[in-house]
Amino acid sequence: MIGLLSVLFHIFSYLVLIYFLLLNGFYIFFMALSFFGISRYRHRTEYVRMEEIFLSPLAKPISIIAPAYNEENSIVESVRNLLSLEYPQYEVIVVNDGSTDATLKKLIEAFSLKKTQWVFRKVVDHKPVLGIYVCPANPKLIVVDKLNGKKADAMNAGLNIAHYPLFCAVDSDCLIDRDCLLKVVRPFLEDPERTAGVGGIVRLINGCTVKSGQVTRIRLPRNILARFQTLEYFRAFLGGRIGMSLVKSILIISGAFGVFRKDLILKCGGYRPASIGEDLDLVVRLRKYLHDHKIPYTIHFLPDPICWTEVPETLRALRKQRNRWHRGLIEAFMYSRRMIFNPRYGVTGLFAMPFYLIFELFGPLIELLGYAIFIFCLLFRLVDYPFAFIFFLLSVALGTLLSVAALLLEEFSLRRFPRTSDVLLMAVYCILENIFYRQYLAFVRGKAFIDYFRGKKEWGAMDKKGFSAEIPCP
Amino acid sequence: MSHFVIIIRASVYVLIFFALLILLYIVLRRIYQQVNDKRFNLRYVRIEEGLLNVLSTPGPESAVRLAEEYKRFPDVLTKLLLDYAKLLSGPEREQLKIIFRIALEKKSLRDLRSRRTIRRLRATRLLGFFIDPLKMGSMLKLLEDKPIVRLAAVQAISQLSTPETLGLVFQAFESDLCPNIHSYISIILSLGAKAEVNIHEALKKPISQEKIALLIELVGAIPLRSLYPDILSFADHPEKEVRIKVARALGGLSIPDSVPVLIRLASDRAWEVQAQAVKGLGRLKSPEALDILAEAFFSKNWHVRFNARSGLMSLGEAGVKRLEELSQQTRDSYAAAMAAMALHDLYLSCEQMNP
Repeated sequence: MIGLLSVLFHIFSYLVLIYFLLLNGFYIFFMALSFFGISRYRHRTEYVRMEEIFLSPLAKPISIIAPAYNEENSIVESVRNLLSLEYPQYEVIVVNDGSTDATLKKLIEAFSLKKTQWVFRKVVDHKPVLGIYVCPANPKLIVVDKLNGKKADAMNAGLNIAHYPLFCAVDSDCLIDRDCLLKVVRPFLEDPERTAGVGGIVRLINGCTVKSGQVTRIRLPRNILARFQTLEYFRAFLGGRIGMSLVKSILIISGAFGVFRKDLILKCGGYRPASIGEDLDLVVRLRKYLHDHKIPYTIHFLPDPICWTEVPETLRALRKQRNRWHRGLIEAFMYSRRMIFNPRYGVTGLFAMPFYLIFELFGPLIELLGYAIFIFCLLFRLVDYPFAFIFFLLSVALGTLLSVAALLLEEFSLRRFPRTSDVLLMAVYCILENIFYRQYLAFVRGKAFIDYFRGKKEWGAMDKKGFSAEIPCP
Repeated sequence: MSHFVIIIRASVYVLIFFALLILLYIVLRRIYQQVNDKRFNLRYVRIEEGLLNVLSTPGPESAVRLAEEYKRFPDVLTKLLLDYAKLLSGPEREQLKIIFRIALEKKSLRDLRSRRTIRRLRATRLLGFFIDPLKMGSMLKLLEDKPIVRLAAVQAISQLSTPETLGLVFQAFESDLCPNIHSYISIILSLGAKAEVNIHEALKKPISQEKIALLIELVGAIPLRSLYPDILSFADHPEKEVRIKVARALGGLSIPDSVPVLIRLASDRAWEVQAQAVKGLGRLKSPEALDILAEAFFSKNWHVRFNARSGLMSLGEAGVKRLEELSQQTRDSYAAAMAAMALHDLYLSCEQMNP
């Protein structure tokens, strides 16, 4: 029996080692691709003039859809930010998704909204609309009040009311750069037939200074958890998504900021109201629809258009957020499972989905299993201590290298930290995050499996400070 | 096992070394960039001073002198010329052209054929402002280039609206077997009324239905009223796409004589044509269209009803009266709801004007 356990232990150790090498190998590969992608983007956009896009008769109008649920602290500032964007023709549709706080009241007061008797075409399904409000002083703003049905449902309501051929999904608790739409619409101008969607970078607003709805000074957050998340966002957006978009494998365009062709999204049924991770689910179904109908397409991810978001600063809020994200991932993969390893879906079916399945979806489970076996071996004195220690050092060193590489990518991006001291401080966090933060996240994401199969549907909203009460800069 | 441990230990050292190297690179790059930016800005300011002198001096001599002096800094010169080209026109632009011809033209024409996208892009931007229209043929090839270069080429060609360039653009459009429709739309739309003669001639030629549809759309979008008789002949075209464009173009042209044609198209077999025709009738604000617009409220298609709403809203008192009738009728609840929406919108806009 002990012999059998020992063999199983060795087999598992080798499997973990192979998994570890493959995972980090892919990350390094994507980082290298991102490095190339960001440099290329920087050089090429040097000769792109935003004012020409602004004046172009072909710049398609955009409907910005911002679902809001209990956002009374930040909603007015966010809407002001959205109304001040530079773009020739756009509308802002705020969907109040049955908020229980004063979100709608604050909007009505701040923008002197009037209730209308609008009728609209219900192309995609959603919970009943209680009222549509317009701002007579600023016809760009439309506020939809509806029964609570979660974010995907609110997005569907916005889609039905949207007038324009492109729509931009934004989180109502985010701020976006003033010229963001001009930058993000460029691929639609350059390749209008094939461009199906474009995503942009999401960065942390914690610690930054906001004036008149715009981020004016970029600084590191003071909160330690937020600093860890800064690194994580760099790795995910600058490293992962840009790299994956270059091999046509991007599966997520963040729900916080993404522009899509409305006709294509409506054809694939809009957002799926039951989905928890509606952003991933939408892109996966969009890819499926386009492959099924043999429509040539591209989905871009740009390193430049920047959306600023507030991240959780407490473990409780972080746990809720990551648990929901992972449940969303599980749910989307369960729904679209037929695409996995399916050659009919090209790179999406044969690479992108298996990659997400093995390294993102099951990643935390494998990591947790590794920790469990290590503890088991400790208890039964099966551990070769020098080997375990050096292996631990290897994983820390590799993790640190990847995070430092993400810092390098940030250096190449267009809105970097202005202070060199901030970069050096982040380098310390590159090491520290390997000690507790990663293990904690693996645990939270692992627990999401239990919650998912128990049927937990909780959204896990976090308490937001709002932009007027941002943390002062250190 | 011991070998394995040695390999892992060595890997740890290598990884730490690389991490430190990257950090060092970040710090050094920041320092280098600061120095480089400072140097670039100093050169830019120096050349800019020279350029301002050139612009205030008549005759080409000073421009030639400046170009000769600074042609060894092509990057700075490129940025400066692009910055100033946007701001200047007329004789001042001519001075810039002289500098460009001496310092950058050869390089730019060579770069158009470069394998590097960034070079083609940079050359396209420069040539868009400064190229001799007769040499524009080389830029038409860029309409089949990568999207980012193609867009720059479209913008560049649209800036060069001489009779020669127009001829070249239309020649390419007509002979192109698989034209990039969006590129041609951008170019011709930007050319505006200057393209009138060329569109008039092209519509008479045996070109594909896709190209005809595009030209008709452009007639309405620019708009080119003198080409009204040319597009009328396509109102009964067997292809739906062409009829849609005709209805849309007639709406864009807003010529009162087109009301009977639009009324006819409002009862077309395709709802897309109906929707565009109803929209056009609304724009024309013709009392003759009142009944047709009211009837369109009972269409099965939402788009037709929605466009009819805008039409009746623009028809003043008679339109409001008809909207009231429609909102009170019980035959069709969709028509009633659309009419109520229109009335409420009118009420809100009146309230805004007279609070």
